[in-house]
Amino acid sequence: MLAAGSRFPSLLQGAGRRETRAKVLVLGFDGLDPRLLDRWLKEGKLPTFARLISSGGFRPLETSIPPQSPVAWANFNTGADPGGHGIFDFMHRDPQTYMPIFSASLSTQAKKALKIGNLVLPLSGGEVKNLMQGRTFWQVLEEHDIPATIFKIPSNYPPVPTKQRTLSGMGTPDLKGSYGISCFYTTDPGIPKGELSGGRVYEVFVIGNRVDAKLPGPINTFKKDRPEAVIDFRVYTDPDQAVAKIVLPDQEFILKEKEWSGWKRVQFGLLPTQSVSGICMFHLKEIRPHFKLYVSPVNIDPGHPAQPISTPESYAQELEKVFGSYFTKGLPADTSGLDNGFLDEGEFLEQDEMILREGERMFDFEFSRFDSGLLFYYVSSTDQRQHMFWRLLDEKHPGYDPQLASGYGKTIENIYVEADRFLDRVLQRIDKDTILMVMSDHGFNPFRRAFNLNTWLFENGYHRLRNPWKQEEGNFFENSDWSRTKAYGIGLNGLYINQRGREREGIVNAGPDTENLIREIAGKLEQVVDPMTGERAILRAFISKETYHGSQIGHAPDIVCGFNEGYRISWDSPLGGFPKNIFEDNKEKWSGDHMGAPVVIPGILVANRKVRAESPALYDLTATILDIFGVPKTKGMIGESIF
Amino acid sequence: MGKAKVKLDKELFEKIKKIAKTAGYSSPEEFVTHCLEKEIIKLEESDSEEEVKKKLKGLGYIS
Repeated sequence: MLAAGSRFPSLLQGAGRRETRAKVLVLGFDGLDPRLLDRWLKEGKLPTFARLISSGGFRPLETSIPPQSPVAWANFNTGADPGGHGIFDFMHRDPQTYMPIFSASLSTQAKKALKIGNLVLPLSGGEVKNLMQGRTFWQVLEEHDIPATIFKIPSNYPPVPTKQRTLSGMGTPDLKGSYGISCFYTTDPGIPKGELSGGRVYEVFVIGNRVDAKLPGPINTFKKDRPEAVIDFRVYTDPDQAVAKIVLPDQEFILKEKEWSGWKRVQFGLLPTQSVSGICMFHLKEIRPHFKLYVSPVNIDPGHPAQPISTPESYAQELEKVFGSYFTKGLPADTSGLDNGFLDEGEFLEQDEMILREGERMFDFEFSRFDSGLLFYYVSSTDQRQHMFWRLLDEKHPGYDPQLASGYGKTIENIYVEADRFLDRVLQRIDKDTILMVMSDHGFNPFRRAFNLNTWLFENGYHRLRNPWKQEEGNFFENSDWSRTKAYGIGLNGLYINQRGREREGIVNAGPDTENLIREIAGKLEQVVDPMTGERAILRAFISKETYHGSQIGHAPDIVCGFNEGYRISWDSPLGGFPKNIFEDNKEKWSGDHMGAPVVIPGILVANRKVRAESPALYDLTATILDIFGVPKTKGMIGESIF
Repeated sequence: MGKAKVKLDKELFEKIKKIAKTAGYSSPEEFVTHCLEKEIIKLEESDSEEEVKKKLKGLGYIS
């Protein structure tokens, strides 16, 4: 074993441990919007931001094309645009199957397995791979021995290889491998049972004072028929009081009505010798007249991570030892739980409050040992609350409810005020050598009207269906006639040409035929007017080849739709659905969004130094960080320092 | 390419022979191979479809 002061000092000093005179603190508030910030600055509600701006600078921050979080944060992480880092959307597509595929990471199963009866024993491990291309700024800093701690930055699952301390953020799945599936157990006959998007409703019965239920876990890949692993649990309700006892296989606890359980560790048995550990929270919503119990998505247990969620691997466990269990799912707030009615607005905010406080405690911990290099800290609540509560801020929104607005209309304002309060705590503690950058990846705008891109392509003759009378049935292009289809939409902003030699049944020749078709469709899309409002739905239809830089352009959608303010892709089009109408009102609780043309929704940059750049972009911040430490940009980084 | 033998119930094999001939396959082997390939593609596709659906569930941006 090597010891300090031995003949290998350079090895020991490596891995990003050099002491730096300047320190850089980056606070990333997802989705913080410059117009809302400006509005509440003018109303005097954000005094700390005002103070910081007067000593440094405030700029709208140019976001990515498209301004989806995984894309935007990858711009920041790598200093490139999507042409360089290869993340163009939440979803890409497989041209051989026309199926959407997950853009950020790829899981592969064990290649070799031994089958014994009903069991399948993996002989070589499966793996999960981060698909973002290029070098992240913390990897580059590490090469120059500059330490960095990266707390939950999006687009870093699984964490890219480094010896720096990193904890993965957006993109980290729950234990089932999804973006989050919560469970709701109820006796209420008025609530439909079964699978929902991001949730599952179970019918349960109160027999005597007992409720038997099952908590679903990951797929048991050890078994041949790949069943879902489950944990049986039991609830005993008190006959007089609004209290229940919840009994899990190895623990029991009491919950009052409306109470949250805090984290509970659950073990899913896969084989007699194998189990996987997760953590979840119980919320006893109601005991009578109807029993209603909510269980959060089962998060990866940071104490025994079933998937890689940190670098070094021990970092997640180190935090767990200090704080106990903590949220590990990429976007921890259960927006689907609110959408599905498992949680009401107040309960959703209770959960999000736990997320905020937990993150703040972890920030304090990291800040207390931040003596050199860079610290990045991420807040998701700014984004998630704007998605879910815009309808109560905006009287023109189809989902506006005056009664709910009287209680929750200030939710978005409150999270900006909360960001200001957090910033105040930081400003009180940073020293004069610390360069502070407060940034967001994009802004926000209302999502009032939904545009069905695939329906538009169908009605304009670019997409053909085998049975047009079944237009509204199915998903995943089940009814598409590829032999006569020229274009299709997959993902939240992407449009692809059905190109010969690239797509399985492509019919449009590469070269001039494709180029001309792209121009024709892009031109028409920019002219589409919503008959209800008289407004254009798409402000800019970006042609990828003219937009991006780098080696990954070949994987880009051919056109990227930049929506107008108030518009977004519909709910069904991204996965290959063809609803009846081109336009629809959005009456969902998910009511604010950020799929617009970048000019509609820039992010923010506030710094405690004068900002020289007039129109900085996300990738300029990457170049700035390296420049502060005197580290040259790497190949593919396209930004410039802002100072 | 090597070949492997698979045991089939005699009655089933008689049916396969009859249908293969009626449907214009050159041999029962060709018919069986075609059926199995089709079934395998279906299974592989449904696996990846399930994988996609599972992963995307809970992403608030889609229904």
